[in-house]
Amino acid sequence: MPGHPKVLVVDDEDLLRTGMQRLLEMEGYAVDVAANGTEGVSLGTKGDYDLAIIDLKMPDKDGMEVLKEIHADKPNTVCFIATAFASFDTAIQATKLGADGYIPKPFSVEELLQQLQLGYKKRLLLLETERLRKDRENRLLEIAFERTRMNTIVNALEDGVLVVNKNGEAVLYNPSALKYLPLNEIFIEEFIIPKLNPQIAALINHYLLAEEYLPQSFSTQLALDETNETFIQITCSPVPHPDGTLAGVVTVLKNITELKKIEQLKSQFVSMVSHELKAPMAAVYGYLKLLSDDSITLTGEQRQKFIERSEFRLDSLLKMVNDLLDISRIEMKTVHREIIDLNLSEIIKTILELFSLEIKNRGLIVCFFFLENLSSIKADAEEINRLFTNLISNAIKYNQTNGRIDINISVTENFLVTTIADSGIGMKNEEKKKLFHEFFRAKNEFTKEISGTGLGLSIVKRIVDSYSGKIEVESEFGKGTKFIVSLPFRTSMKIEYFENEK
Amino acid sequence: MAKIVIIDDDPDILDASSLVLNSKGHEVITATNPEDGYQLVIDNSPDLIILDVMMNEPDDGFFLAQKFRRSKITVPILMYSSVSKTIGMSFGVNELVPVDDFVEKPISPSLLVEKVEHLLQLRKEK
Repeated sequence: MPGHPKVLVVDDEDLLRTGMQRLLEMEGYAVDVAANGTEGVSLGTKGDYDLAIIDLKMPDKDGMEVLKEIHADKPNTVCFIATAFASFDTAIQATKLGADGYIPKPFSVEELLQQLQLGYKKRLLLLETERLRKDRENRLLEIAFERTRMNTIVNALEDGVLVVNKNGEAVLYNPSALKYLPLNEIFIEEFIIPKLNPQIAALINHYLLAEEYLPQSFSTQLALDETNETFIQITCSPVPHPDGTLAGVVTVLKNITELKKIEQLKSQFVSMVSHELKAPMAAVYGYLKLLSDDSITLTGEQRQKFIERSEFRLDSLLKMVNDLLDISRIEMKTVHREIIDLNLSEIIKTILELFSLEIKNRGLIVCFFFLENLSSIKADAEEINRLFTNLISNAIKYNQTNGRIDINISVTENFLVTTIADSGIGMKNEEKKKLFHEFFRAKNEFTKEISGTGLGLSIVKRIVDSYSGKIEVESEFGKGTKFIVSLPFRTSMKIEYFENEK
Repeated sequence: MAKIVIIDDDPDILDASSLVLNSKGHEVITATNPEDGYQLVIDNSPDLIILDVMMNEPDDGFFLAQKFRRSKITVPILMYSSVSKTIGMSFGVNELVPVDDFVEKPISPSLLVEKVEHLLQLRKEK
């Protein structure tokens, strides 16, 4: 017998029991025996037997009782009732009570083996049925689980989701959909199209009213409120049936307010840049027109002045374009950085040397205080140079004649702190607020003659930020300005990230 | 010969414009910011005001024009504009923008003279 079916023989007659055991074992069965009903129940409920042959008449327990108790626990064990008092009635009774077969005693070996073989086939069928039933249960559980999982995900989405069937009836939605549509409530299976914003309805109707299935998605953007405070992007995608016809439409509503804001800032920046670029061009254009206009008589002095002014304005235009390119490089993070150990005091000394002529011409006194060996930092030399050149250049430009500049490098736990203080014109509070804005330049009697692109401090701020540093400003109008730059000693995460991008 | 006040924060534009208008025989007084410009107009009662749209703030030229009108100064105003259109200000000669005409930068001297003469002519006819 293939697979060695497990058989339990329950019989109080020793000879019969052991005889049957030997016979069945020879035929390839694995046989356990029980000498009475109680033992039979105990074995039959513990082990998972394929087959059981149970004697009907036993002193302690009736065979039918044993069968019932085994079946209660192991319904798939195929049980035969064996009895010497074979009669038609007992056979019927036994099958009624759940016996799978009936073995009359005495029995022939062939008869017994044939019965057991049939019984074993039945057992295999029972097991298969059981397996299928369990599979089905598991699948149902899985489906139920999938459904709750999907609902949980859909409900947790920040994006609004609304699904309609091909009749335009709501099939599924999430709380965000209510927020962005906006609707107080949606009923499943209600005709939702008329309740929607006309633009969204039109987008969905595009699919519902189309003669053929449209495979592509459509998007539109709209302001949620009249004050244009919230913008949403609506994307509709079709859902096909397996046969390729339309089953429904999925609408996703995404809050794009932040993106819109960035877009707006960008356009404002472009406008500002255009204006700033146009101003020097307009000035040069004006001078050239005058120089070439025969109807206007100019003195040689005027001609000379116009040419000089034009050169000056073109020069500042060029500087501005270079500054803008620097800003764009820092923004796009394409700056090739070489992080090395730098000695900040050496860098500042070099910058001061480069500016020595301007410093002398304006009669400025520069005091530079630092502790030897306590001004090293890991950074890109060019950027640090740029940062402090811009700040020192400002301290010179916006200073009073015969004023002073105090530069001080000190060390705190995590930062190298550099202060650059001038005795210049200082700033008003409203000017201080806009200090780091692109193109902001303080405009007053003092600054009239000072040239600049309005981008220097904006670049300073970007460099400091990119090193996870900090820049603060203290200023009093008419008295002077102090910049405090704190740069971390250690290379920050941000810098490593840049390096990886090389 | 007319008296003209030009208010623009760009000294080169002031220089060039003044020279053009001087060459046509006009007297020109200039200011580089809205506050000085306002005072200059009050003190000098010019025949025409030329005003840059964007000085310290993106639209302070507009506000200054409105301030003149509120102060019952009815002198024609010619406005210099550059990129204000793209910043989102709707352009047009109306109550919000109480000016009489625009000249787009860079300024063509012949166009400037033409518009100035036209506005002065209209003022005379009134």
